[in-house]
Amino acid sequence: MKIKIELFGASRDFSDQHLLEFDVDSHSTIKDIRKKMLNYLDINFNGNENFKKIVNSSAFCSENNNIISDNYKITKNEKIAIIPPIGGG
Amino acid sequence: MLHAKIIDIKEKKLSIIEAENFISSYDYGASIFFTGTVRNQNENKSVIGITYDSHDALVISSFKEIYNEADQKLNIKDKSVFIEHAKGYLNLGEISIIIAVACKHRDQAYVLSRFIIEEIKKRSPIWKKEHYQNNDSAWLKGNPIINEKN
Repeated sequence: MKIKIELFGASRDFSDQHLLEFDVDSHSTIKDIRKKMLNYLDINFNGNENFKKIVNSSAFCSENNNIISDNYKITKNEKIAIIPPIGGG
Repeated sequence: MLHAKIIDIKEKKLSIIEAENFISSYDYGASIFFTGTVRNQNENKSVIGITYDSHDALVISSFKEIYNEADQKLNIKDKSVFIEHAKGYLNLGEISIIIAVACKHRDQAYVLSRFIIEEIKKRSPIWKKEHYQNNDSAWLKGNPIINEKN
């Protein structure tokens, strides 16, 4: 299965495309997606610690716009969003 | 009555006049207009502009939740609220957010206006990237979002 991760805020610096795409096993969880992202940062950004902090402190949002927990299971090709720590207004 | 919108700054600027037109009513005796604007200093750095990013659907849903919570938490049921937030690049002095509220009495209007901006800061997925005079830029550190539902 493929999962697309839409990037927001500070995580936009992870890619010029504002989107990351990973192959994942069926029933992978957000926890697994987080690991995939950390691995991606190790490979592409030499393990940039600031970037990894962003991944570890972010929430994720489902396609139907609900904040989802680390146990949320991916059961189909899906586009989710990473929600880094917020501070607008 | 609520108006809640994210405005792409490439298409239009935020307008106090539109906010006034929306909340204006003979039903209410007190109105408060709050605007957030881009300032030229932050943490001893000279700021020349800010890029705002937003997860639009979550932001609008948070604005609606905050509006509805004001009924229960503040017991302000009769009210008119206009909330708009900008996204995109804003220059110094430009308006990033308008919160306009109208209530029957001034104490309600002051409390409601403050409640809305503080809750937006805590809950609405909006991010700021500051641009500095030395051509550098940085995303501001924020706080993890709090409303996990699943």
